[in-house]
Amino acid sequence: MIKKILPIVVLVSCNIYAMDKMHEHKSLNNDEYKTITHSSDANNMFVEFTTSLSNMQIVVVDVNGMVCDFCARGIEKTFYNDNDVKKVKVSLEQGKVLIAYSLNKKVDLDEIKNIFLSNGQTATDIIIKNI
Amino acid sequence: MGIYKYLIVILVLIFPLSNEVYARPISWSGGSTFMYKTDSMKSSYYYHYSPLYRYSLGVEYVNDRHFNDQYFNLRGTYLLDRENTKSSQRNFYITGGLSTKSSDNFIYGIQGDWETRRLYSAISHTNQHTKTKDFSESEIQLGIAPYLGEYDDLHSWIMVKAKKNTIDNDWNVYPFVKFFKGDFLIELGTKNSHWDIHYMIRF
Repeated sequence: MIKKILPIVVLVSCNIYAMDKMHEHKSLNNDEYKTITHSSDANNMFVEFTTSLSNMQIVVVDVNGMVCDFCARGIEKTFYNDNDVKKVKVSLEQGKVLIAYSLNKKVDLDEIKNIFLSNGQTATDIIIKNI
Repeated sequence: MGIYKYLIVILVLIFPLSNEVYARPISWSGGSTFMYKTDSMKSSYYYHYSPLYRYSLGVEYVNDRHFNDQYFNLRGTYLLDRENTKSSQRNFYITGGLSTKSSDNFIYGIQGDWETRRLYSAISHTNQHTKTKDFSESEIQLGIAPYLGEYDDLHSWIMVKAKKNTIDNDWNVYPFVKFFKGDFLIELGTKNSHWDIHYMIRF
């Protein structure tokens, strides 16, 4: 019995781990993004953010610890130091930060995570979407 | 945002000069903070810089009305531990300072805070050693936000502060309010005709 169950458990675990990793790194189209966010508020935020934008990479970051406006001020400031960042939107309600990069920017997920860490928050999930 | 800059300047000029432990003692990596604080015993101006999000170094000018003394402190704060969740943040810090008056004057302490968008709590304990007397001060803060503001909104908090120092040896409990918008924060409280005021600007 154990011999039958064990491979299934290992297989499922590997799939969950791989899906988790894909979630972090994948570039998405509109339908995929809506499927993943599962939230009309998050979709509305995304639509509002991208209304006047085109030919950009939109990075959507889920953030832990972003509970205070005053403490989150450094996020905007730090991202705007990068000339390839065209727009930043912070939502305390959603716990999300949206960053619009020019298409020629090679988005570095570790760099983004470090920016949040250096500002006192933790980036838990990152999605990149081209528009 | 300009009106808030003027508001801060006006308040700094109106209220008399005082000090102890500061809320939000570390900024983001590369960030600077200017603070002004006054209460029944002291006033202080404090500038600190955070080379990294883990610590800050700063200079503080203190006008100690209780001991009729003025001096500078070199202060440092180190983030011992931080926990971020989706809805909260918790921090523990150690802080210390040396006075420029003499090596006999120094302060050290611990502080911690936990907050959500709705609730805030903080504790601190500081010891101050001087030539003439040693004393310590403990402080507890609890707060609630009457509404949840979004980023860039004006944020308001209704707070209660309890302070005790070993000079008066008595707990003082009083309400105060905290407002912040953008890079500016102000706390205002009063008890027995003593103002407790704290301004903060980050840049």
